[in-house]
Amino acid sequence: MSGFFGFDAALPERRPGQPGGGGESARHQFSGFQASNTDETFALSGAGEEEDLAVYTWGEGMGGGLLEGGDELNDETFGDVGEISNTFQFSSQPAQQPAKPSYGHNQSTGRGPIASTQSRYKPKVAADPFAFSEDDFYSRPAAKKPAAKGPSRPKAQTAQSGSVEGLWNKPALPSPAWGTAPSSMSKPTPPPAASYSAYPSAPSGPPGHIKTLEEIEAEMSQLDVTGPSAKSLTGQPKVLSLEEIEKQMMESMEPPRQPTPQQYVAPPREATPTTVPGLPGSGYGTQKALLDSMFPELGQGSIPTQRAGPFPPGPEGVPPPPSGPSPDEIARMEAIHNRISAKIESMAQHNNLMGSSDKDFITRIQLSQLATADPYTSDFYAQVFSALKRSRIAAEGQGEGPTVVPVAAGLGLGVGGPVGNRFGKMGSNTMQKLSTQVKKLVENRAQHQKVMNTAALQGALGRVTRGNAAAPRPVLAIPTSNKPEHRAASHLNEQTGIHRAALTRKQIMFALEELYDAVLELEQMRREAPPPTAMEEIEVWHARCQARVDNIWRRLMVMEPLDVSNPHPFISLLNPIKGQRLFPRLLRHLPHNQSITMLSLLIATYPQLDVVARAPPPPVADASLLTKADRLDRAKREAETDNFLHCIIPGVDMIINRCGLGLVAGMLAISAQRSEVWKVASTRPGVALYTALLSKAQSLIRAPAPDPLNPQQSHSPDPAEIDQWSKTFTYFLHVLLPHLPELFPSSVAQKAAFGPGAYLLGGDSIGEREAVEMERREAEVWGFAAALAVNAAEEEQTSLVAALREKILHTVQAARNPATGPIRSEIKLRNVNMFLNGLGLDAAMIE
Amino acid sequence: MDDATNTGISEPLDLVKLSLGERVFIKLRGDRTVTGVLHAYDAHMNVVLSQVEETIHFVDVTEEGNPLPPRAERRNVEMLFVRGDGVILISPTQQ
Repeated sequence: MSGFFGFDAALPERRPGQPGGGGESARHQFSGFQASNTDETFALSGAGEEEDLAVYTWGEGMGGGLLEGGDELNDETFGDVGEISNTFQFSSQPAQQPAKPSYGHNQSTGRGPIASTQSRYKPKVAADPFAFSEDDFYSRPAAKKPAAKGPSRPKAQTAQSGSVEGLWNKPALPSPAWGTAPSSMSKPTPPPAASYSAYPSAPSGPPGHIKTLEEIEAEMSQLDVTGPSAKSLTGQPKVLSLEEIEKQMMESMEPPRQPTPQQYVAPPREATPTTVPGLPGSGYGTQKALLDSMFPELGQGSIPTQRAGPFPPGPEGVPPPPSGPSPDEIARMEAIHNRISAKIESMAQHNNLMGSSDKDFITRIQLSQLATADPYTSDFYAQVFSALKRSRIAAEGQGEGPTVVPVAAGLGLGVGGPVGNRFGKMGSNTMQKLSTQVKKLVENRAQHQKVMNTAALQGALGRVTRGNAAAPRPVLAIPTSNKPEHRAASHLNEQTGIHRAALTRKQIMFALEELYDAVLELEQMRREAPPPTAMEEIEVWHARCQARVDNIWRRLMVMEPLDVSNPHPFISLLNPIKGQRLFPRLLRHLPHNQSITMLSLLIATYPQLDVVARAPPPPVADASLLTKADRLDRAKREAETDNFLHCIIPGVDMIINRCGLGLVAGMLAISAQRSEVWKVASTRPGVALYTALLSKAQSLIRAPAPDPLNPQQSHSPDPAEIDQWSKTFTYFLHVLLPHLPELFPSSVAQKAAFGPGAYLLGGDSIGEREAVEMERREAEVWGFAAALAVNAAEEEQTSLVAALREKILHTVQAARNPATGPIRSEIKLRNVNMFLNGLGLDAAMIE
Repeated sequence: MDDATNTGISEPLDLVKLSLGERVFIKLRGDRTVTGVLHAYDAHMNVVLSQVEETIHFVDVTEEGNPLPPRAERRNVEMLFVRGDGVILISPTQQ
């Protein structure tokens, strides 16, 4: 045994010594023992605590039927070691013995005492603190570590016995010679009794073998009553003398394998039965402790005798004579062990790492949460962005990709990017899995939705996102679509009063949000046009779209009585920037007659528009005169005006361009009758509107030539319409003419200015940028004047020029003033010429 | 009419929705306020604003421990993402 022990632990060191002689080897062994002893000592200390348990287990172990129970426990404790045949068990025991000998020697064998005492006390001092300081389990391993070779062996053994754990701890530890033994051990272990027995027997075994062969018989004869096994255990230590041990050591060292066959005969019986019962009872975790505790006991002379009693049943229980493990089996065991350990090691390599399938799985989970019934609107901004990006890429010659990835019926993922194979990395396989996953979710959710209406309360105090056991947060929020329409078509219309208060700001905002939703819905519906071949579907689709359009039309409240409120609800909707932005999008969907109606209403109520009623005041020379609130207010009004010109005027132009002359005349008449034209015309939106009307009328009158784009309007205008137009225009001009010079922003600014600002405004003190901006706005009015001039009859042109004479002269002079920057002067001249050219004149003609 | 309007509002953030595209006033932790045009928000009150003016309010204390009149530092930002955990309140700016 010692030889084995020395073999393992000291192999590298001892090797040189071994060939030299037995004495050297023995010394080496001793030294080895010390190292191992530390372990033992630790074990002892630990054992002391568990002594009672150990005794009990022994006693139990002595009981005959222990084997079976032990087996079950062993399975649990050791884990599956694989299939182990009875033969393996037997073979294992012998093998174990060689492995364990180190323990055995220290405590159990006769020489063990000598060796052990030396080793014990020396290491103990150092070791004890460790043992006490920590639990047995902890202390032992820790203590073992210091002893280089001793610990490794026990570990290897444990590893073998508790297959998995051992592998984890140190799969590779056992040296080849040991490895064979451990492997054999592991096989026997499955029957718990065998494995446990192996431990105790093992220590005693190696020395015991030698002893047993010689002495066991004698012991047996002496201790017939108690039982051979117990005696053998106890006897072995006693019997073995130092000399014997040394001899054995020597022998074992040189031919390590020889002892094993010998051992097989006698020791296996003893060891296996006794140990087996005790171990199963003790349980997995305490294996080591038990073993340790057992060893010390073995080492003591008195205890063994007591235990001899229990032992006898053991031998009876283990009838089969130990059969040495054949080299094949050993090799096989070793191979299996190596394979298992290798496998575990290879698996452990990837601990904490995700494989591609893992990533796919998580990605699917994440994506399934993103799936939505309405990919377009849910990811609206992503869609718009991708549309822009796509158009750019398409311009570069690349193909288009899908914008929506359908994952299940009615569900999809909005794809922000233009690349079609956005999920290419995951592969189509993953997408398939995803779609099935989402389908399941949808079905599951649909079932639960009937039951769970408590969700209605969710969000009453805000969005409740944390689920609980009773109402787990749905993985997938499926739109219930049972949301009632917020109000009957136009609840606001139901009040019959002719006149009522204007919409509050909140109402406006709310109505706008509803309109946005409706428009988005409609746009989405338009996108889902059925194929042109399916006539029926197209009809249904058209009907649905029309219903949406009607809905939007009602919400626009265009048909409200003209005087229902001031401002008119429709105008109220156009006042916020949001509403202005919505206008062009609405216009696309409205049929021609409705857009005409809308335009008529707009023109009739034009003065109610914020941008007209609260037009931005003329700029002041010195912004420092303004309070902060003033500045903000001005900025806001400017922004609104700009936005209005940017969003609504183009739409208005478009509608006007589809109108006939009669309609244009009618609109101008409405405006002239219902509003103070000059007030409207003094605002940029007003100027823009009138300019559009006038120029359209003139183009209709002067261009009877067929318009390829609008064939229905190609016919020359009806003389009656022309007559009506001229009358309307005459009236319009008549109203406007007195105020014509005041329409120019520069005039307004100068009129509004006071104090030193008045002079400053006329001068060049204002920045070049503001000046240019001013000229640009002047250009709008000059353009309006030009439109007037074009439409005006000759006598009207004369009066027109007369009205603007001063303005023209002033502007031309300013343009020729060397103090005026070249840019400004050029703009000024261009502005004036815009008007003069309409009359067939030019600024150059002015002296 | 108020009824008609309120039926569509089922949770507080629906009111914030009404301010989309409008200038809002946001009070933040750390004595900060922000005004800007609201472009987007979410359930966490993360908010995207444009044309932002951020104001940080300070009260300096003299060495004797007497507070000086509060002062504010302002800065303007073109576009701003405000993380929701700092938001105390969102309100439409007073017209």
